[in-house]
Amino acid sequence: MARDLAIDLGTANTLVYMKGRGIVLNEPSVIAVNRKSGEVLATGHEAWDMIGRTPSYIVAVRPLRGGAITDFDITERMIRLLLQRVGVSRFTRPKVVICVPSAITEVERRAVTDATRRAGASDAQLIEQPMAAAIGANLPIDEPVGNMVIDIGGGTSETAVISLGGVVALEAVRVGSFDIDATIQAYVRREHGVAIGERTAEEIKIHIGSAEPSGQDQSADIRGRDLVSGLPKTVRLTAEEVRFAIEEPVAAIVLSVKRCLSKAPPELAQDFISRGIYLVGGGGMLHGLADRISRETSVPVMMSSQPLEAVVLGAGHCIENYQSLRGMFMGSRR
Amino acid sequence: MTAMSILTSLMILGAAVCGVSLLVLIFLDFRTTRIDDGISSFRRHIDALSPEARRDSIIRHEDNSKVGRSE
Repeated sequence: MARDLAIDLGTANTLVYMKGRGIVLNEPSVIAVNRKSGEVLATGHEAWDMIGRTPSYIVAVRPLRGGAITDFDITERMIRLLLQRVGVSRFTRPKVVICVPSAITEVERRAVTDATRRAGASDAQLIEQPMAAAIGANLPIDEPVGNMVIDIGGGTSETAVISLGGVVALEAVRVGSFDIDATIQAYVRREHGVAIGERTAEEIKIHIGSAEPSGQDQSADIRGRDLVSGLPKTVRLTAEEVRFAIEEPVAAIVLSVKRCLSKAPPELAQDFISRGIYLVGGGGMLHGLADRISRETSVPVMMSSQPLEAVVLGAGHCIENYQSLRGMFMGSRR
Repeated sequence: MTAMSILTSLMILGAAVCGVSLLVLIFLDFRTTRIDDGISSFRRHIDALSPEARRDSIIRHEDNSKVGRSE
């Protein structure tokens, strides 16, 4: 008998929760495929190490962009491999709950459920990421009080107001931490004439990237390829430059939070001032982002204790209480 | 003959009234049950989201993570 699963199929990372056991898999959403034969060569961490370093016949790709499936066939194969790795065979077909962005279209929704069913699930249900995040962040969403959660993923940023087990207000933008990386790449290319890869851009963001000035601004030496000579080149990048470079996606995220706050009913809005807003997702770990949102909204912002796992833990809780929480799935009555 | 016919008509009318009353009672009972179902289903939904219900899945994971970090 297969144990039911919850999958956070994120643009950046994929996490799998197994009923009764907890999180059993956590790895990058990357798959490496042989272009000639179509064979899958690696997934997860192994495939991530290959990004930008493969010979021409191998392609290491992220099959999701902006939370949506860009390559249905590769996504299906990735889900099939994930299910195999956690012990699902053709004789054991589990129920699967998948976390997806709330802004997903009907076509994208069907693509995810079809890919999951074809990969071996007996039933595939979808849950909105901010709802799963609120459950996983352990917010008191069973009470008639306003709970606000911001989930900043690789491809999407979603803000939701939740009360009495349901979404009251929701705002989503297809801007995430990958867009922040892309703006760093573009800035270094434009201002320093150096091409850098997406992994280098991510490292820059993690080490010296920030959304708000701090007392101790740092700098870092970046290695890339000179666009004129084509030779390797090292340039020094300051934290202030990175902050300037990433301003556009950061401002878009902050604006979506403000829009969600303005949609919330006044009775719930007063709860945010006393209870604060919770930040989850890898993108929320950008230095100074919580302070920036707090400064612009005048509402305290706290980081969840499990920012990377909150979404899958919430979906895992739904799989543990499948019958009682069926109403939370997308397309259900409630 | 006329008395018999009136009696039959009254009996048919009585049966029809009884039948309609029965149907109304069944409908009302069904409706009450459905309202109760909504209440109990919502209660189950909210109970499943309570901190007590989440203790096993989420709080257990947080505790394990804390233990993992301290080791």
